[in-house]
Amino acid sequence: MGILVKKYLACLVLWYFVFSTAAHAAQSVMVVANTGDQSIQLNRQQVRSLFMGGVIPYQLKAVALPPENHTRVLFNTKIIGLTESRIQSYWAQMRFTGRKRAPREFENETSLLQFLLRNVGATGYLPAGMDVPEQLTVIYTIP
Amino acid sequence: MPWRLWNFVLVFGLALLCNAHPIYAETSDKLQFSGFARVVLGYLDDKNAEYLNYDNSLSIDNESLIGLQADYQMMDSLAVTGQLIGHSGEQRDSGIEWLYLTYTPTNALKLKLGRQRTPFLNYSDVIDVGYAYPWATLPQQTYPRHFFSNFDGLMASYEIPSTLFLMNIEGYWGYFKDKVVVSEREMEAKTTGFHGLISHISFKNWNLRGSYHQGTTSVTLDDVTQFSGLLSQLGFSQSADSLATTGVTEVFQFSANYETVDYFVRGELNRIKADFIFVPDTDGYFLSTGYNYFPFSSYISYSKNTTDYEQPASDIPIGLSPVLDGLAYSYLNIFEQLPVNSSEAYTLGTRWDLQPGLALKGEVSLIKGADNESAFFNIKDTAFDREALLYLIALEWVF
Repeated sequence: MGILVKKYLACLVLWYFVFSTAAHAAQSVMVVANTGDQSIQLNRQQVRSLFMGGVIPYQLKAVALPPENHTRVLFNTKIIGLTESRIQSYWAQMRFTGRKRAPREFENETSLLQFLLRNVGATGYLPAGMDVPEQLTVIYTIP
Repeated sequence: MPWRLWNFVLVFGLALLCNAHPIYAETSDKLQFSGFARVVLGYLDDKNAEYLNYDNSLSIDNESLIGLQADYQMMDSLAVTGQLIGHSGEQRDSGIEWLYLTYTPTNALKLKLGRQRTPFLNYSDVIDVGYAYPWATLPQQTYPRHFFSNFDGLMASYEIPSTLFLMNIEGYWGYFKDKVVVSEREMEAKTTGFHGLISHISFKNWNLRGSYHQGTTSVTLDDVTQFSGLLSQLGFSQSADSLATTGVTEVFQFSANYETVDYFVRGELNRIKADFIFVPDTDGYFLSTGYNYFPFSSYISYSKNTTDYEQPASDIPIGLSPVLDGLAYSYLNIFEQLPVNSSEAYTLGTRWDLQPGLALKGEVSLIKGADNESAFFNIKDTAFDREALLYLIALEWVF
């Protein structure tokens, strides 16, 4: 009986950790790049510049997820610091003044990850906690 | 009017053709079509005046428009862009708004050559793309409609990256020649040596923009030029000089935006200085703050401008002879006819983002001016108290 209780408790504790980690992961994002230099680390301002079409000292090219995607909402909220509608307005202003173009969008995290793996310099955001292949580098995580 | 309507329909038809596929119709990687459209319904709650051509009847043809843009990437660093706009309003001509080459030798440097939008103020070069800003219309007090919208020339843009901020510097040089409406008169205008410098800094939630623009403008006003010549021949050089139709125009601008996920505060001020008749010195500013509650954002704004013309000269004697009195009267009458457009506006509005690329806005503005001034109103009845409510509903679309 005592052993059975211990097993149940162990399962409960394990379930709690898995669940809480997953819950935490769903509320956070990381920025991942296909870059040979695995020492590259960006700060929030640089990530913001990169995904808003600005220039940074590295040869990185941003790619994005579609507007309704949960990871994109988290990225907008926690890193860009603007609403989706404001970001759409910004890109309309940039496009119709000939300044910048919005990052290419991918249907979901899987297709974005595949694109990152195939293209050197490609940089995107993914849910924190997602398995990242060795050839990719996590260049920013939300502190 | 039929020609304007035809242009509008033509651009609208082209836009529909290009938009057979959803957002960003791409015929290939190299050629991309995109566009924007706005339908603005307006009503001025006063029968004694018009404001920006709105009166006390519902009108949809003042600021509605459609634009179509094509970008063709000829080489990795060379592209050509064209933009065609169809306006429904009589104040703006439809046709090619942009046509320029873009050369991008590095990620940080971009050169554009050809017909481009004039980047006087923060939203000057995107004034037709209503989707790009929260308000139904940009305040007339800060964005006077007599500014010309494009120029022909060269623009260079350079970005300076930093770990703390992003800085962009733009410089341009070119010329402008077209008809403009200033002080309620349409005239042929030509600006040469037109140049400007714009600096833009993004730092955390702040966006700051400062700019300076200058050009030598001459306008064709045959009646004024002939009268000025007559005054000069008669020896009244001060009066003759005060009717100059050529002079330097300068524009100073500064804007600051602070934005978060929850709210925004935006402000902009500008000063226009012109040393020739019909273009007054103007100081304008607006302040706007809004609260975001997806998919809505509501805002309040205040905008104000003051205008000031050069004072008339006094070298024509009055009371010596009927001929000189008539001359002085004619001279002074030119200045008395100049509309003084100082005014202020209080605006309350809401933007509803229906889906990415589509937004609906509704706003109401209280416009006020001094009793003895035009205040941008076209006054039908002298009893008008220079105070009116303007209601606007705008549907904004980018594709």
